[in-house]
Amino acid sequence: MATATSQKMVTVTIDGMSVQVPAGTLVIEAARQLGVMVPHFCYHPKLEPDANCRMCLVEIENMPKLQTSCSTRVADGMVVRASSAPVEAARQSVLEFILGNHPLDCPVCDQGGRCDLQDFSHEYTPTAGRFQELKRVFPKQYLGPVIETQMNRCVSCMRCVRYCDEVMDAQALAPVGRGTLTWITHWADKELECDMCGGCIQICPVGAITSRVSMYDFRPWMLKRTDTICAYCGDGCQMTVQHKENRLIEVNSAFGAGRNNGDLCVRGYFGYHAGEHDGRVRRPLMRRADGSFAEVTWEDALEHVARRFTALRATFGADAIGGLITARCTNEDLYLFQKFMRLVIGTNQIDSSARYGAINGVRALRRVQGIHRWTVRYEDIARADGIMLVGTHLHAANPVTAVQVKQAVKRGGAKLITLESLLPARSTVSNITTLSRHHLTVGHGRFDAAILGLLKAVCEANLVDEEIAAQAPQFVDAIRTKTAGVSWRVIQDCSGVSQQECDAAARTFAAAARAVTLVGQDVLRASGGEAMVTNLLDLQLLTGHLRRSGSGLGCLAEENNEQGAVEMGVVADYLPGPFNLHDKDGRAALEKIWGRSLPTGSSATLMDMVSRANTGSIKALFLVGENPVESLPPDARVSEALEALEFVVCQEMFLTETAKRAHVVLPACSAMEKDGTFTNTEGHVQPVRRAVEPSGESRPDWEIFAALSVLMEQPIEYAAAKEIFKELRGVAPGYEMLGPASAPPAVDADTVTRYVTGGFKEDLDRRYALRPLAATPPGSMTLRLVQSLYHSGKYSTRAKGLMEIEGEGQLRMNTSEARRLGIDDGDTVHLSNERGQADVSVTLLDRVPDGVVWFPEHFDQAVRALFSVTVDPHTGVPVWKATEVVIAKSNPSHHKG
Amino acid sequence: MRPVSGGVAGGMVFDKHRDFIAELLTRYPVKRSAILPLLNLAQREEGCVSQAAMREIADLLDLTPPQVFETATFYTMLSLKPRGTFHVQVCRSLMCALVGADDLLAWLRAHLEPGADGATADGRFTISTVECLGSCATGPMMQINDDYYEQLTRDKVGRIVNDLKQTGDCALKSGPFMMPERK
Amino acid sequence: MKTFEKILLKNMEQPGYAGSLAEYERAGGYQALKKVLGRVPPADVIDTVKQSGLRGRGGAGFPTGVKWSFIPRDHPGPRYLCCNADESEPGTFKDRQLMERDPHQILEGMAIACYAIGAQTAYIYIRGEFRLAATILERAIVEAGRAGHLGADIHGSGVTVNVYVHAGAGAYICGEETALLESLEGKRGKPRTKPPFPATHGLYQQPTVVNNVETLANIPHIINRGGAWYAAIGVPPKSPGTRIFCLSGHVKRPGNYELPVDATFRDLIDDLGGGMRSDKPLKAFIPGGASAPFLTPEHLDVQLDFESVARAGSMSGSGGVTVMEDGTSMVWAALRLMEFFYHESCGKCTPCREGSAWIVQILQRILNRQGRPDDVRTLEDICGNIGGRTVCAFGDAEIAPVQSTLKYWRSEYEALIAEAGALNAGRKDIPVLSVS
Ligand SMILES: Cc1cc2nc3c(=O)[nH]c(=O)nc-3n(C[C@H](O)[C@H](O)[C@H](O)COP(=O)(O)O)c2cc1C
Ligand code: SF4
Ligand code: FES
Repeated sequence: MATATSQKMVTVTIDGMSVQVPAGTLVIEAARQLGVMVPHFCYHPKLEPDANCRMCLVEIENMPKLQTSCSTRVADGMVVRASSAPVEAARQSVLEFILGNHPLDCPVCDQGGRCDLQDFSHEYTPTAGRFQELKRVFPKQYLGPVIETQMNRCVSCMRCVRYCDEVMDAQALAPVGRGTLTWITHWADKELECDMCGGCIQICPVGAITSRVSMYDFRPWMLKRTDTICAYCGDGCQMTVQHKENRLIEVNSAFGAGRNNGDLCVRGYFGYHAGEHDGRVRRPLMRRADGSFAEVTWEDALEHVARRFTALRATFGADAIGGLITARCTNEDLYLFQKFMRLVIGTNQIDSSARYGAINGVRALRRVQGIHRWTVRYEDIARADGIMLVGTHLHAANPVTAVQVKQAVKRGGAKLITLESLLPARSTVSNITTLSRHHLTVGHGRFDAAILGLLKAVCEANLVDEEIAAQAPQFVDAIRTKTAGVSWRVIQDCSGVSQQECDAAARTFAAAARAVTLVGQDVLRASGGEAMVTNLLDLQLLTGHLRRSGSGLGCLAEENNEQGAVEMGVVADYLPGPFNLHDKDGRAALEKIWGRSLPTGSSATLMDMVSRANTGSIKALFLVGENPVESLPPDARVSEALEALEFVVCQEMFLTETAKRAHVVLPACSAMEKDGTFTNTEGHVQPVRRAVEPSGESRPDWEIFAALSVLMEQPIEYAAAKEIFKELRGVAPGYEMLGPASAPPAVDADTVTRYVTGGFKEDLDRRYALRPLAATPPGSMTLRLVQSLYHSGKYSTRAKGLMEIEGEGQLRMNTSEARRLGIDDGDTVHLSNERGQADVSVTLLDRVPDGVVWFPEHFDQAVRALFSVTVDPHTGVPVWKATEVVIAKSNPSHHKG
Repeated sequence: MRPVSGGVAGGMVFDKHRDFIAELLTRYPVKRSAILPLLNLAQREEGCVSQAAMREIADLLDLTPPQVFETATFYTMLSLKPRGTFHVQVCRSLMCALVGADDLLAWLRAHLEPGADGATADGRFTISTVECLGSCATGPMMQINDDYYEQLTRDKVGRIVNDLKQTGDCALKSGPFMMPERK
Repeated sequence: MKTFEKILLKNMEQPGYAGSLAEYERAGGYQALKKVLGRVPPADVIDTVKQSGLRGRGGAGFPTGVKWSFIPRDHPGPRYLCCNADESEPGTFKDRQLMERDPHQILEGMAIACYAIGAQTAYIYIRGEFRLAATILERAIVEAGRAGHLGADIHGSGVTVNVYVHAGAGAYICGEETALLESLEGKRGKPRTKPPFPATHGLYQQPTVVNNVETLANIPHIINRGGAWYAAIGVPPKSPGTRIFCLSGHVKRPGNYELPVDATFRDLIDDLGGGMRSDKPLKAFIPGGASAPFLTPEHLDVQLDFESVARAGSMSGSGGVTVMEDGTSMVWAALRLMEFFYHESCGKCTPCREGSAWIVQILQRILNRQGRPDDVRTLEDICGNIGGRTVCAFGDAEIAPVQSTLKYWRSEYEALIAEAGALNAGRKDIPVLSVS
């Protein structure tokens, strides 16, 4: 397919105006640059031209017939007439053809008021059509709980089908039948099973495909719009929240908007209702003597908290108090939290949900390349010729980053290498591994072994970059020796990946001119995560991809604003910046800005705080949006810790299991209810804007910290979130401006030199030694908690749209394993191990590797008791997402119904 | 909703054609090309293209079921619903119509009394009309399953229907085409 | 009519000839292939075909040698040949006879074409209904392969040509070359927007030649007897050669007739076809398949070559000639063809998709005596709004019957509408729709 890649400029004249555009530009695009809007249905800048609607016909000199401007590419000297009489007549006739069968049901159509067909009809057909025959009628179609179609309105532009195929790579929509009787459906008479990205709804130029979540709730012109950033995952998509009378009606995203360029995933598109859930805490709550909660005024609640914190600090010292915050907060909230903890409380015992994994990447990146951010951007993914994904579950965890990768492969011809704990089974839910050139199934989560395999292959096939070989022979030799010491046999036994697979993948990766590596949760949240990322950076170094511009390694933030959390200093051991807690310069700079000295006490990770609470050295915890009772298994002893504490404050949107154990619950705003900024996984700082008024009396988190500081007589006050931003800008590099950074940060050359000339040695033995394969008890399978595309953390389980799509946890198992165990789709099975048992129903999913079963992590309460936590001794990261279980078909009495 | 399974491996419809399918896949550099041969096979084997067959084809060719479905519904020889043992397809295009196709069709319908779906009560015949089958010089014509029957008259059609009812076959079907006949 | 030598039907019209490999070889078959393989450079083969002036027999009449020369010489990947055996144009049935009676003639032509364009793989895309022809071709491919005419290293030349039969499943549009490619790729048979053309971005986006069965069947003869020989037959230089015309309708001896294109429709219909089947005179004929505008008795002396038919206001198309006698309703005839086009429109382009359904409804109403005074105007407008505004030539084809019958027999439309006016005076008319 010819594409507009050529940089040669040509001149075209359209309606008498001339413009210079790159050769290969479509006429319709050139016209747009001149402000000439050519009406169209099937054309969409995201899609390959299909030229089916024939609405965009224009006259081109020296061409015999009218030409479709959406598929014709400009040539030098081309003269186009886009609004002559023959062109207008052609447009009128296309509209007449379309309107012939159209039901003209605009009054009851959700698209009414923002419909291309309506607008063009208004513009081009002053008279009534002459079609006076019977119209063809399709039945209204229920495509499942969130999407329905009204195919009588369809203009057959196929944009939905093409989007689903070309952009989402789901191929879930089928145009069936032929000619005028063609309609769009899923398959057979089945409900839609797909990524549910809402893209088909968004891209439909008329109202043929609509959302059942927002159906009939509105007329578009009644809606107010707010551009903000999705709070679910680190992709940080820009979306337009549409609301009416303080109610959230609909979310969409305009083409060209944000890093996502108008694409959203199911969570962004259908998950916006979480903040409107009935279970919101709307007033401050205080625990009564009998254990129940009483609603109190803000004054009472805040005064009580201030008094208790002050008293506890006076009695036991500042380090009797610890603070924990969710990374899902805005940068302003996060920044102010640590400022509050450090200055008002006077402790460094601060941690956040970045501890669950993000920290592993940050530590490795800072150590090897001196910068903890991505050194590439989405644009580099698009331009890369080699892309490697390691443990990302990208299509589910970071769906819009996945879109970038899909585009790079499908459009740009990039070669994709995937090391993933899933099989490349195809279904109508996209699976990034089906696009792979080299897919390596790392079934049992042993990414350490698979990464070692790649390093070994690079050494053995002599794919080492000449520059690094010359600059740091010691480094190269050390890795060569280390990898030589591990046999292919061991690598294969541990990872399931063969020498041939590693060799082929390594060759492709090394040969790429621009290679982007993305690392996901299977690595970051695993024990030894930091070591694995470090080894992947070794791989980048060896193949020359670390320092090359356009190449780089990025760690993916599954949870929104993990990146911000690190940079705002709410992670143990880090000050904002991030600077190391004991970094002299960093401390001095911060003290200068704050005008106060920093506490000198020790830091504490999440798990440190739990154990200090259990041993009694911590007496109080301030938990902001964090819910450790439900995000850790019972043997982490969080409940016990909370019981042991004298005072627990939860600042929350919902009465979570953790909040239920608090003494005071302070109602916090959702991201739709406040202003601030989020930092996405690529490191772009983007504005979050209030779309609706706070629910009940809830307040933005930062306001609550500020109020407490006043009551504790050490005021840190701001008039608005943007004032906090002004301050933090001076503290954290990379916050100078909002929106996409003009260029990604580069690696720090000195740090790299230090690393390859000696720094690497420190833990080399440990990083390059493979722990042996854990013996699985006979008859058992590995149960893994896996991210689902339809949810993100527990927050999303309060969004009605998402709950309609996936409302409960079901065990996923592949068909052949199910056959082996005599289990059918829908059966209930009994899971057990020495810690506990659970009965869950089974859904067959052929992307689950052999010997493994998956359970969606956001519904983990059903199976949590089976798991056991271990804490990574080097990073304090609690790891608990896999366990061994015995699976048996439940006998009928176990059935839940 | 339950998330999709990638299909049930080792299907039933094509099991006995493993060798043919293996050979078929060598003919094309892109697997998807084998879709029409497989759909045609399913149609011939089962009298229709069932959902099970479409799912199996999707699995065999690394496609999604909707991709098979959309393809299947474009082609009129493929049917999602079962047809009678004998699928009688009468050409209704102009060239056959000029030489009496409508009359034959009426006669057939009157004699076999198919229901609204074209099928006779006993399920043995399904009568449908088709567009030009490339026998215009020998019209009126019809195709029954794989065979052409040409230069039809009422009498001839009666014999064909009778033969098929009795023996399941009919000698009046056409051989290799030659018109005008060699003198 | 002057005497002439048949080229394509010659073998099969010999008594007893059944098209086996032995018979074909006995008649000189596969000599052309042996003559060129490894001996004549591919470019020279293309030149010979260019010199012959052979034009495509699938409908568009594009010069075959020129088409072959568009295949990029330096392309690194595979190239493909597709033999278009979809033959679905109403009134056309020549390819079927060629395939069923003399399959090797086509296979030899394909092997030479593959050699000329550097393709190792060729597909015969045959309409699904042609089961017999497909079986015969498949058998012939096996035979030819065993004899070393096809397959790897043909006759020790190092040239490989694999031919596969690929059956469609009922879709006229798959005869359109880009729809054919889509269908062969396993998709819905929707035509592609051109450019890019198949010569550079064809099957699997590789350089591809699509040629009709009859076109390819001519190739061995041109190679054997030279381009100049062929170029001298018929109406040189633009329309050389013989063509097979498919005669149907109200004639005494319908069938396939091969004749040089300097003959006239009168020669074909009266001499070869034996004239009208009854005493009714000729009223109309279609000169080139359903997509060609109707002609009238005045046009009987028009020559059969592409240009002459075009000058007469129609097109020679696929060579399907359908004859209609006096008394045939032209509105009815137009409807029958329009119903075909409605049934076969792929649905991609708005004008074709919606326009075909609309026209069918209007014509049905007119015939049902429910016409309205403005129907003729509307029909003309709809046709005007389809023509030239679609992705493929189907759009232009489908309006041919309506436009041409309106041109010559407008009064028939008007009479039916007038009847309706009288019949339905004062009635609020609900139109009937019988599209299925
Ligand atoms: C709607 C439509 C249907 C066609 N059907 C056929 C067909 O059945 N057989 C055929 O050979 N060409 C058919 N053609 C012509 C092909 O597109 C193409 O021109 C031809 O196969 C090229 O071969 P040739 O150059 O040998 O004629 C059709 C074209 C159109 C627009
Ligand atoms: S003109 Fe008709 S048949 Fe051709 S591509 Fe368009 S809709 Fe399909
Ligand atoms: S926008 Fe060009 S044909 Fe549809």
